[in-house]
Amino acid sequence: MRKLLCGVSLSLLLITRPSAQEVDIFGYFEPQFSLIYLDDDYYQLQSNKLRVDLKSTLSENVEFGANFNWILYYGKRDWNFLDYVPQKVSSSIPLEREDYQFTYEDRNFLDNAYLRLSFPSFDLMVGKQQISLGTGYAFNPTDVFNFKDLMDPTYEQPGHNALRIDLPLKDGFSLLALYSPESDWEESGKLLRLKGRWGHFDFSVIGTETQWTITDYTYPCYNFIAAYRRRLLGADFVGELLGLGVWAEGAYNFVKESKDFWELVVGGDYTFDSELYLMLEFYHHSLAKSDYHLYDLNDWLGFFYQEQRSLTQNQVYCFVQYPATDLLKIGGSTLISLSDGSIALVPTMLYSFHENIEFTLIGNINIGKDGKAYGKNQGHSLLLRSRIYF
Amino acid sequence: MKLKAFIPLIFCIGFFCAKSASAQISITADTIIQKVTRVMNPAQSKAKMKMTIMTTSKKTRTFVYLAYSANHGEKTLMKYLQPSRVKGQAILMLNNADDIWVYFPRTRRVRKLATHAKKQKMEGSDFSYEDMGVGDAFIDEFSSRLLGEEKKEGQVCYRLELKRKPKSSSGYSKLVMWVDKESFVPLVVDYYHDDDSTLLGKQLVCNDIKVIDKIPTPMQMVMYNKLDRTQTSMEFLEVTYKVELKDDLFTERGMKK
Repeated sequence: MRKLLCGVSLSLLLITRPSAQEVDIFGYFEPQFSLIYLDDDYYQLQSNKLRVDLKSTLSENVEFGANFNWILYYGKRDWNFLDYVPQKVSSSIPLEREDYQFTYEDRNFLDNAYLRLSFPSFDLMVGKQQISLGTGYAFNPTDVFNFKDLMDPTYEQPGHNALRIDLPLKDGFSLLALYSPESDWEESGKLLRLKGRWGHFDFSVIGTETQWTITDYTYPCYNFIAAYRRRLLGADFVGELLGLGVWAEGAYNFVKESKDFWELVVGGDYTFDSELYLMLEFYHHSLAKSDYHLYDLNDWLGFFYQEQRSLTQNQVYCFVQYPATDLLKIGGSTLISLSDGSIALVPTMLYSFHENIEFTLIGNINIGKDGKAYGKNQGHSLLLRSRIYF
Repeated sequence: MKLKAFIPLIFCIGFFCAKSASAQISITADTIIQKVTRVMNPAQSKAKMKMTIMTTSKKTRTFVYLAYSANHGEKTLMKYLQPSRVKGQAILMLNNADDIWVYFPRTRRVRKLATHAKKQKMEGSDFSYEDMGVGDAFIDEFSSRLLGEEKKEGQVCYRLELKRKPKSSSGYSKLVMWVDKESFVPLVVDYYHDDDSTLLGKQLVCNDIKVIDKIPTPMQMVMYNKLDRTQTSMEFLEVTYKVELKDDLFTERGMKK
């Protein structure tokens, strides 16, 4: 099924080539420089990313889109996750294990390639496509397909192979059905979502079934990977209460042959007259630990390898932004673990140099005690990104 | 003899002129605002617009977008065509911008904004979301008072004061509006600060009024930000009012198409 979807997408790409004048080509070039301070040393990592988007509206009801990405890395490309794990945890692992390395490999890939057919009563989208779910800003418990980078939660997410049907119903309601094929039906992702409106509130109810893989990194010679069937039942809403923007998103996960767990996000935002924007989001993950003394190797690496959304059970994400001038926005976010008391500061600055060129500066300062979720032992970093759109 | 024949005619003209003048004078602020709302918010419209922002550093930022409007401005959908940075981005405003959704094509995410976001600048321009999705807001959100007649931009205008109603969610405490007596187009609108009804925040000037599909249309609107010393002009590149827009367009599905 997966190959078939890719085949369909590539065939469409070839079909559209002869009529190149109908294909809209756009994208961006993104050079990025990171300076990392870790264990009393400074490291540099640079990357150059080129993304080329193709979009063709073959008729009023047929659209084809794709994007190609080329990413080249320079500088310190090899990292060991154990460098970010507290000493007392990393010292306990078997000596034979040295494979917690992570390398930034140059990559060329087709991130999205989809066909969208619009029928009078529904839309059908097939191919590699972005899936975005939930009302949370930094955390989305109902989104089992993506993991957000807490330093930059709005960065684009990768595409997923899927067959998607959007069915508008009466009175502002809509139904989404999605099938993300893997090697067999059991492993494949399935999703049903009913979305509606009530007053100034949008809400949705969602059910998904996916395969969840969890790795045990403590085995002496290899990583033991366990796959569980995960069924999620969730809901979300977004609206307004007493002049504040409010939202919530929650999900209960039924995990076959393992522990069930639940996640919850509650958030609110407000724009002051000075255009100062303030947002707060609380996140709870029932499977994550509340006592940092109990964080073990699997907790740390599960979080780094994005198998688990959070290391710490309760945390707050705070985001503030202020337009210092009409071209410069300053602000930042703060991540506070309520469970272990650690804090990460993420100052940000966005400068619009030209209508198609912008510069972003993102800092990351961990000020928690060593061993905590945002402990000093994880170092600090500064990222400078420029993006040139064409 | 000839003069005698004209006397009844002169009398009639005089009578009708007097009646007309008295009707003009007796027009109420509410009637004027209703006419302004009708002129500025035709039943349906489709337009291609160019927005040019002049920043504090005198740099310009140009945006081109498609704007669809239905139900007399109660529903508005904007889809950006240029620049590449925002291409495909869409803004949907329903219930006179009381409900706002923004679609980001790079993440395929739709985000609902609360009404406090109405005060935010749209794409860094001097137009806020509220300014763009005005609909019936002049009637629903403000109580109006006719201050008199005055010449503005070379036209005889009604001068009106619109004060924010107590439970209104508008980001302006007061508006002062000069409405062309002939076309009922507001030629100049002064927007006063949210917290200070004596502080002039912005001024909108409408120029180049053309009649399109029998509807007077200001082809250019310039918003001057009196506090930041910036300005944004908005021009119609194409506009039609004879268009059938389906309800489906003003939905999340319509934003993504």
